[in-house]
Amino acid sequence: MIRRRPFLSAFLLLLVGLALLAWSNRVHLASFPGIVGGYSAKEYCSCRYVSGNPAEYCAGYVKLYLPLSAFHDDAERKRVTARGLGSSQTAAWLDARQGCQLQSQADPL
Amino acid sequence: MPLALLRRTLVAGCLLAAGPLAAQSWPMPEWNSQSSAVTPALQALEAYAFPARDDATRAGVRSDALLVIKDGVIVYERYAAPTTAQTPHLTWSISKSLFASVLGVAYGEGRFKLDDAVAKHYPPFSAHPDVKLGHLLNWASGLDWQEDYEYAPLKSSVVAMLYTRGRGDMAAFTAEHALGAIPGTRFRYSSGDSNVLGASLKSMVGEQAYANYPWSALFEPLGITSAVWERDASGTFVASSYAYLNARDLGRVGLLMQRDGRWGERQLLPPSWVAFNRTPFANYRPDPQKPGEAVPGGQWWLNATLEGSARPWPDVPDDAFAALGHWGQGLYVLPTQKLVVVRYADDRDGSYSHNELLKRVLNAFGEQP
Repeated sequence: MIRRRPFLSAFLLLLVGLALLAWSNRVHLASFPGIVGGYSAKEYCSCRYVSGNPAEYCAGYVKLYLPLSAFHDDAERKRVTARGLGSSQTAAWLDARQGCQLQSQADPL
Repeated sequence: MPLALLRRTLVAGCLLAAGPLAAQSWPMPEWNSQSSAVTPALQALEAYAFPARDDATRAGVRSDALLVIKDGVIVYERYAAPTTAQTPHLTWSISKSLFASVLGVAYGEGRFKLDDAVAKHYPPFSAHPDVKLGHLLNWASGLDWQEDYEYAPLKSSVVAMLYTRGRGDMAAFTAEHALGAIPGTRFRYSSGDSNVLGASLKSMVGEQAYANYPWSALFEPLGITSAVWERDASGTFVASSYAYLNARDLGRVGLLMQRDGRWGERQLLPPSWVAFNRTPFANYRPDPQKPGEAVPGGQWWLNATLEGSARPWPDVPDDAFAALGHWGQGLYVLPTQKLVVVRYADDRDGSYSHNELLKRVLNAFGEQP
């Protein structure tokens, strides 16, 4: 098999290797998509409602190499929702001492 | 001059000299300021700290605030928009050193000892019974923690802690890590270690007092009014990363440290606590590949000369120490020169140098008072 189909064999081996790598990193991979939305929602919320910087500045401040697919700043309730890598995350401003915190449930976008 | 008058004059002179408290300047309630002449040395400092800013590329040195305090008096202050004197700026990992000062008050109240097992104050650490509070303060818990986020975002413990798996309870997330070294033997910078300290304070002072403790213990005695300290979903202060203060308020903590934990006539932090903050972790070995890395003390960073290596910031005295945070945040204390420097920034590349900034501050303001 290996001698007759060297490329296919190498490809299958690579697949098996990747699958093993993914399995051994499954915990990291499962939480990975939440990073972009979580980072953007939390740091925007704090930039805007803790530090009191202008919205436009904060949008630039949290900009990553990976783009957001959706973003909503509910200025009235001080809740910020960001969606990236298919995962939505919401950060909410709590009060003057506690600032912002990521919420366990994202607000609907 | 008659002898009696001469004697009286001498006595008055001695009293003045013996009363440094009366002569010292404190920000009570507000800072005293004194404008500085524009000298070439000051221009050189400004040229380094505030070059033209490019928000498209975000390249180079990008200071948001620079505040220089000389013996309790503001001698230089400048902000870059949108940051102002009122902005509670994110301090990132300066928070760790601030939290150490909060803990220092608790230490002075006899609420813990450095060689207490962490598990005594934070039960989830019963899985790691040999880790002591002193180990956490030296970032030497021995936990197999991965702080790096620039190159390994997938496996970074700190990214997972702040934004995904760990955000609900950051100390518990840290406690779930396995040991990778014997506690107290290896320095490994860890935001997890700092957040376990954040959780340990809860049982030290009680759940009731906890939420207010950074204010009652540290901020209010210092006259700090701008502080915000964010918490995780379990209510634990994010001691590693999320304290916000305006530059003038952060300078108050610098002055407290410059004066060995004393605030006016009150010894807020025990001198032994400040001495611990300023003592290099005994088992720290500098990385020859990273000559500019400051030496870890007790949640503070030191410009200490260690055997066999040059001091990290060669143009800065070796008694200097600092609280340092991501993207260029810095609170520097130079006790001999009686200088405190606050720098807030948004540095996105590695071009900023602590040594270069402090060298220029020393050129402009470093002469002995």
